[in-house]
Amino acid sequence: MEDGNIIEVRDLKFTYDDGTTALEHIDFNVRCGDFVALIGQNGCGKTTLSKCLNGILKRTSGSIEINGINVNEKGVIKKLVRNIGYVFQNPDHQLFNSKVYEEIAYALHNIGLDDNEIDERVRHAAQIAGVSKEIFDEQPCMLVKGLRQRVAIASILSLRPKIIIVDEPTTGQDYRQSVEIMQFLCKLNEEGHTIIIITHEMDIVAQYAKRILVMKKGEIYMDGTPKEVFSQPDRLMEGYVKPPLVTRLAQLLHSDGRCNDALNIDELKAAL
Amino acid sequence: MDAVTIKNLSWKYEQSSGFLFENLNLSVPENTFLGIIGSNESGKTSLVSCIKGIIPNIETGIYKGEVSLFGKAVKDMDSDLIAQTAGMVFSDPDAQFTTMSVEEEIAFGLENIGVSVEEIRERIQWVSKLTHLENLLDKPPYDLSGGQKQRVAIAAVLATHPKIMILDEPTSMLDPKSKDEVFDILQQIKRELKMTIIVVEHNIEKIAELSDAVLLMNKGKIIRYEETRTFFSAVDLLKENGLKVPESIELIYYLYDKYGVDTTAPVKFNEIAAEIQRLLRLNEEAV
Repeated sequence: MEDGNIIEVRDLKFTYDDGTTALEHIDFNVRCGDFVALIGQNGCGKTTLSKCLNGILKRTSGSIEINGINVNEKGVIKKLVRNIGYVFQNPDHQLFNSKVYEEIAYALHNIGLDDNEIDERVRHAAQIAGVSKEIFDEQPCMLVKGLRQRVAIASILSLRPKIIIVDEPTTGQDYRQSVEIMQFLCKLNEEGHTIIIITHEMDIVAQYAKRILVMKKGEIYMDGTPKEVFSQPDRLMEGYVKPPLVTRLAQLLHSDGRCNDALNIDELKAAL
Repeated sequence: MDAVTIKNLSWKYEQSSGFLFENLNLSVPENTFLGIIGSNESGKTSLVSCIKGIIPNIETGIYKGEVSLFGKAVKDMDSDLIAQTAGMVFSDPDAQFTTMSVEEEIAFGLENIGVSVEEIRERIQWVSKLTHLENLLDKPPYDLSGGQKQRVAIAAVLATHPKIMILDEPTSMLDPKSKDEVFDILQQIKRELKMTIIVVEHNIEKIAELSDAVLLMNKGKIIRYEETRTFFSAVDLLKENGLKVPESIELIYYLYDKYGVDTTAPVKFNEIAAEIQRLLRLNEEAV
């Protein structure tokens, strides 16, 4: 593995049992500590790709290395879960224990940690994710949505994975809750976790991602910084992606020769 | 005439400790497209539940004051009359399908209110054309995308010819393409049918494009209720209430401020872009 990379994917192909090829010719690396947004129309392969990365789905051909581990080798799963974690789009697809504490501790029992270490990790993960210990005995599925999402994240954090993939972190959340979740992911990123978000919210992508991977029909269609990707509106349209409102406005005004790649309101104000 | 009148409404859910609404007042004129916005848990769904009569007819709690639809109090209306006055579409496209085909789904509500077989056929034809579902009538729900399912839910409501259609976060669980499908249909309904439409929605950009009036809720109170352009002129107030103001609107008020323009700005994307270009040209000529 090349120095500084935490994910290396080479010529990945994935075909479902019914013969549908969901991924093909996928080649990319992710640097350790990066903040990546994986975007593209529904059905383009975003979720399939992330499930291949964490070993839930077995690739048809090609190779995937996560922090030096070959995902497709037998018996790597216990090593793998400490390196890469996946938070489902709908926390209700993930939460199933009767108590919040047990939910966060569940995977730790599975990887065979002793009770003291489990307790320490649960408390730490809960604290980072903003799950107070007063609710440790409550039923996860009875909590309000924002909190269910946090419990789901805490249950992944307790494994201390180096890479965290979050599928649609802001769906159904209001603006304030979305900002809270994204700031929380930024904090994890600053602490050294590599973050991958799958999202349709281009404002979020423009504001938080350091790098964007656009997928189209099972392939990586564009790859670059938000500025590089969003400054190509025609190409994006062909990938069925609409740039964020600010960028679209900047591009409309660009016919006047003013500004073309503003990613936020302040850049746009400055350019006018 | 007002489609919805709320007078001194107070409401407390049986299981909660305090009143959610206290002396709420509101009137929505007939044929208005009303957008209701606000953060989660602010009372938006409860408000539309009061309009639809779910509160107090199904939910239990303490109810004071009056909600009327076209002058009739909802608590005195039977369920058939409410169904024919106000139809409702919910956010989860999977939770509202009760039958095994699009055609049956549209027919279901009509059968319940006793529409004749002949009339049912005509209405299905009319509404499937309007909502572009003609080619999907035989399809089972599992063959439909989220956007198509929401269009079916809208069609099923429209087929009952209600005077008011309420949509509670109809796009929050959909992908962007499906969201656009639903908003396009709403745009078309607004253009072609005379109807009062009330939409609870987080997508403020779309609300700005579609609504005649906008209502902002926070903690059970109506913070602001105005005609759409006037509504968005209070950028700071909206931000204080935890909303994301579309950057296009924020920008136009920034420029108005900079160039000393004292007027209410447009709120639709294309109109704002044109207005900005006009302003910039004017300013350049002045220089």
